[in-house]
Amino acid sequence: MVLLAAVALTTLLANSATRLRFTALAFFAVSISANVIAAGATTAAQVAVLAVAGLAAAGILFISARDGNYGEDPGWRLWVATLIAAIATPAAFASFRTITGEAVTDLPLFAADSGSVVVQVASFWLLSSGTAILVTARSAVRTSLGALLMLTGVQLLMRYAPGPQLELTIAVAWVELVVALTGAFLIVNERAVRE
Amino acid sequence: MTITIASPLVLLALMAPVVFLVRKVVVLAAVLTLLTLAAAAAMIAIAPDAATAQLLSLELRLSPLGRLAAVALLATAGVIVADVWLDEPAYNFFPTALGVGAVVVAVLLLTTPLATYAVLLIGLLLPVGSFTFQIHRNRSVEAAIRHFAFVSLGGTIGLAALALAASLPRDQPQSTFVLLVVVLYVAFALKLAVIPFHTHAALLAAEAPATALALYFGVLTPVTVIAFVQILTQAGLLPSLLQLAKVQDLLLGIGGLSAVGGALLATGATDLRRLVVCSVISDLGIALVGIGTFSGPGIVGGIAIALATGASATQQLLAAGTLERRADGGPPRAARAPLAAAAFVAGGIGLIGAPPVVAFPGRFYVELMAYSFATWLGAALVLATLLLLIAQLRVALGLFAEGLPSWRPERRPVAGIAGAVIFAGLLAGGIAPDAFLRPIAAFAEEFLRALRPL
Repeated sequence: MVLLAAVALTTLLANSATRLRFTALAFFAVSISANVIAAGATTAAQVAVLAVAGLAAAGILFISARDGNYGEDPGWRLWVATLIAAIATPAAFASFRTITGEAVTDLPLFAADSGSVVVQVASFWLLSSGTAILVTARSAVRTSLGALLMLTGVQLLMRYAPGPQLELTIAVAWVELVVALTGAFLIVNERAVRE
Repeated sequence: MTITIASPLVLLALMAPVVFLVRKVVVLAAVLTLLTLAAAAAMIAIAPDAATAQLLSLELRLSPLGRLAAVALLATAGVIVADVWLDEPAYNFFPTALGVGAVVVAVLLLTTPLATYAVLLIGLLLPVGSFTFQIHRNRSVEAAIRHFAFVSLGGTIGLAALALAASLPRDQPQSTFVLLVVVLYVAFALKLAVIPFHTHAALLAAEAPATALALYFGVLTPVTVIAFVQILTQAGLLPSLLQLAKVQDLLLGIGGLSAVGGALLATGATDLRRLVVCSVISDLGIALVGIGTFSGPGIVGGIAIALATGASATQQLLAAGTLERRADGGPPRAARAPLAAAAFVAGGIGLIGAPPVVAFPGRFYVELMAYSFATWLGAALVLATLLLLIAQLRVALGLFAEGLPSWRPERRPVAGIAGAVIFAGLLAGGIAPDAFLRPIAAFAEEFLRALRPL
């Protein structure tokens, strides 16, 4: 549960950041929290791929800022995005969670649970937050953040999908990198147009 | 070293960064790009039927549809690259075209739905760099950002739906899987820019260069439609669709809306590129109706329309680019570039789906199945076709409004020749439709088996 709170808090930090460099750092924190929360279902190789992808994506956004002042002030969009995420997460969990015969009674404070409830909630939270940020974004800064948060949520959901896990993790990590690179390209161009 | 079915994919993926490094030497970059595309297409064309290979642990398989679509789309990409090289040099375009080529081949060969979808998402983001040009004079950056947002949203939602569908045990309530299919459909609708998710495409049409639009609507859009049906087939989600008739109504409703809405927008289009993009949106709606009928002829027609529309849209967009450039800010006129104007008009025949081009049988099948499903649906598709005919005629008459002072072709008639090559291909397909439709029919059989497993 503490890890879930860490994911929620770091997401809120990323969502509320007005400077792109802070957004990038907060996204890296989200990525780390998400990886820790699903550590039980992740191999060492996957952890390495996910860590590199998270670091690279955050690094690309950090560098694209060019200075510490550039960013997008979310304003009222922060509250709308948070509200949408808060409503959508339980709705998504109720609609799409894995339904088992046993009731989940044991949700450990510091570790992930055996029934993947915490991981699913974390992924739905990231997907909802990312969607809300994307939908309310005005510039490439928050569009990139929203897309990256959603991809982090997808990486969590994929841990329980059968198939070649490492290859799928690498494929989505590449998507993360391409999204970050595209976002950075657009951020630089957008800034050039504005200035 | 042995050549496997993975070789064309690896070749394209490796050559993209090489061409990126030499991109400023335009001739070298263009020649390398064309040779690579040709080599990859040849390797796929001569590969044995149902060839398989492993890439890491991912299985690749060459289906008849995969072969047809890969060769057709790589050839289309080659025509666009030749046009960029000879008519409108843009050095960043060449590595993008190779990246898109690699994505096309990967999507058509991969058999793991999640991997297919992830690769497709990368491919849809690759042209963003080509969408932006002369950023201080136009709104191309805004258009590219909007495209980025729509594709990212649709892409990640779809990826999440697929990951969930794969991870959930099969004893979950059917309604969960039905909901996931609906989410996946909306995700693809966002990426395909079908109505009501088309606003980013309208801005792109107005602001992005014609060649970048051709790469997107001519190559990536058809492969997205094929990826949609392939992923539905491979993910095991199809049987759940039959549980709820309302879902099929939704699929057909969105398809019909896009078909008529796109055609209506096309009739009001104020410029050539917008006309083409709206026509593509309408055709994609018709293709989605075909797929949504869950019938053999409907699926064959839907995929055939997607492929033929891509080729015709490329033909028209390349011609539109030339006509606009030669107009020097004024209205595009055939007098300035007669061959390009002829290519534009001929491309319209393909987008309308008129005989004798190969787009006709596909449209005929879909409209037939739509009528058998519901009279209003068939009537809507016929209305969409009529509106497209009016829209294309209106623009064609506008192009020739001042007549032709002479029948001499323009200097460097690149778009005209490119259009002639594409039209010849579409005509050949129309004369011998069996060669074009049989591989699609083989896939339709696979789709129907997945829909109603024994």
